[in-house]
Amino acid sequence: MLRIRNLNSGYGKLQVLYNLDIDVPTKGLTVVVGPNGAGKTTLLCSIMGIARVFSGDILYEDKSIAGKLTHTLAQKGISYVPQMGNVFAELSVLDNLQMAGYLSKKEDAKAKAEQMTEIFPVLKKFIHRKAGTLSGGERRMLAIAMGLMKDPKLMLLDELSTDLAPIIAEKVMMEVSRLRDELGITILMVEQMAKRALEIGDTAYLLVSGEVRYTGKADELLNEPELCSMYLGIKQADDKGSSFTLSATDEGSDQG
Amino acid sequence: MAPWMASGLIYASGLALTAGSITLLYITTRTFNFAVASMATWGFMLAYTGVSLYGGTPYVYLPLVFIAGSLLGLIAYYGLNRHLLRRNAAEITLMMSTLGYDLILLSIVQMFADYLTLTYKLYPRRVMLSAHDFQLFGERAAAFILPVIAIGLLVALHIFLTKTKFGIAMRATIENPVLAGASGINPDRVYMISWVISGGMSAIGGAAMAMAITGTPVMGMNTIPLMFAGAILGGLHSLYGGILGGFMIGLTEYAGVFYLSREIGPWIQGYRMGIPLILMAATLLLFPRGLAGIPWAKLFGNLFSRKRGDN
Ligand SMILES: Nc1ncnc2c1ncn2[C@@H]1O[C@H](COP(=O)(O)OP(=O)(O)OP(=O)(O)O)[C@@H](O)[C@H]1O
Ligand SMILES: [Mg+2]
Repeated sequence: MLRIRNLNSGYGKLQVLYNLDIDVPTKGLTVVVGPNGAGKTTLLCSIMGIARVFSGDILYEDKSIAGKLTHTLAQKGISYVPQMGNVFAELSVLDNLQMAGYLSKKEDAKAKAEQMTEIFPVLKKFIHRKAGTLSGGERRMLAIAMGLMKDPKLMLLDELSTDLAPIIAEKVMMEVSRLRDELGITILMVEQMAKRALEIGDTAYLLVSGEVRYTGKADELLNEPELCSMYLGIKQADDKGSSFTLSATDEGSDQG
Repeated sequence: MAPWMASGLIYASGLALTAGSITLLYITTRTFNFAVASMATWGFMLAYTGVSLYGGTPYVYLPLVFIAGSLLGLIAYYGLNRHLLRRNAAEITLMMSTLGYDLILLSIVQMFADYLTLTYKLYPRRVMLSAHDFQLFGERAAAFILPVIAIGLLVALHIFLTKTKFGIAMRATIENPVLAGASGINPDRVYMISWVISGGMSAIGGAAMAMAITGTPVMGMNTIPLMFAGAILGGLHSLYGGILGGFMIGLTEYAGVFYLSREIGPWIQGYRMGIPLILMAATLLLFPRGLAGIPWAKLFGNLFSRKRGDN
């Protein structure tokens, strides 16, 4: 569904990504992992027309979308849940959902919003509150709900589990794999909870300093102890002495 | 009404609309629009042309004035602003481009004034538009009608921004253009509509101000410092703040001149613009974020809770 060829991109004059080749197969769950500052968010921004593409190509359903305007990509069925700034803080929860359903018909958007408040009951409770007054986790849930409002063909998810309590994070992960299995949505997911993401993912890319370090089956990346401990802080069961590599990933931090 | 009040209210309503127009455009497109000056002048000029050639009161021409202002806004957007926004131009570039547009509009308004003189023997270089007003409760009707129009436009705008899908999309784009784009909102449309609304507001504002001051082809240019003062007093980031700011600037100018010339002498007339500007500076020293930064809710909240005595 999405093919990225020899992508070089960044912001202004600053290059962040180098010669990236990434394939996102239809109805698959593709996971991108890597340390902070590796360029994971930049990858999604490049696809969405937010970062600047210097060279290379991005093909969506076999058509080039490199450098296209963001809102036209939304019209083509790509839904993007950003890592930061993923809700409209000044708008009420209801208006946020309505904006996420901007491209749908009014009744469809309404029904969809109703459905979202069933999946995430907290949203129903705070439906008239400004999104800016929600807690970090509640905001993240609203952002996910907004991503789902769009009935997307392709979803770009940036660090969904950040800010969420472990039990909710697990629920969200299950929800993501359900999106793939039951709704057949193609997903490109960036995740800080690397281990869990690689367990549910199909293919995986390890991104380090703007370059791809690993391409292959998601669960097989978990069998690469060196890459895992060096970049992802995933300890093998029998490996006790890798606490200092943990600092390279810090699960909870969210400063991208 | 006190002698200064009728003129003050009329003038302040016009300033409120122009200051609101500056603010709206700034929060949507990051553009400080200097062309409000000539857009306002065009508003006056068209209302004047209307009453002079076809009779009636200036009010009946206001819808036309609004449309004309919107058209001037559309031309600015498609001719200039859109291309610069697409290239992510710096604020200073956006601002300077509107200054250029203002000069073009100013030249054309001058030509138009000459055309009126040569063809219709009109003299639009010193106009008392209020001569075409009627009396209401022993005052000029404009003192009631124009504040009502200003408030009406504000209410309509508020309803548009909070109750309609496109209005909410405008607020969404103002707050977070990236996320709005990702939701499928076309920012182009949002910018275009805000030029339309703000162009219309400027033109009406100019026609309104000309009911209090002498209308001339450089009227907008002479008053633009106060229009910006209103927007800045309002805090620049709040539409309602901008409108309130413009209103306060206009009213304090008239009240200030009246009372000060009585107290310290009529020479103060020569410094009339200084009075609201001093007020603006003082307010910003106390509340750096302008009127919008004053914790009104807290002030009033305290007031009310004390009244109820449940504190
Ligand atoms: N808007 C921007 N302008 C300039 N540089 C940026 C911008 N956003 C990110 N960068 C830089 O690009 C690099 C990659 O950032 P990016 O956000 O893509 O990393 P990331 O892999 O998503 O990290 P994290 O795990 O912390 O979210 C960083 O060095 C960052 O400083
Ligand atoms: Mg990131």
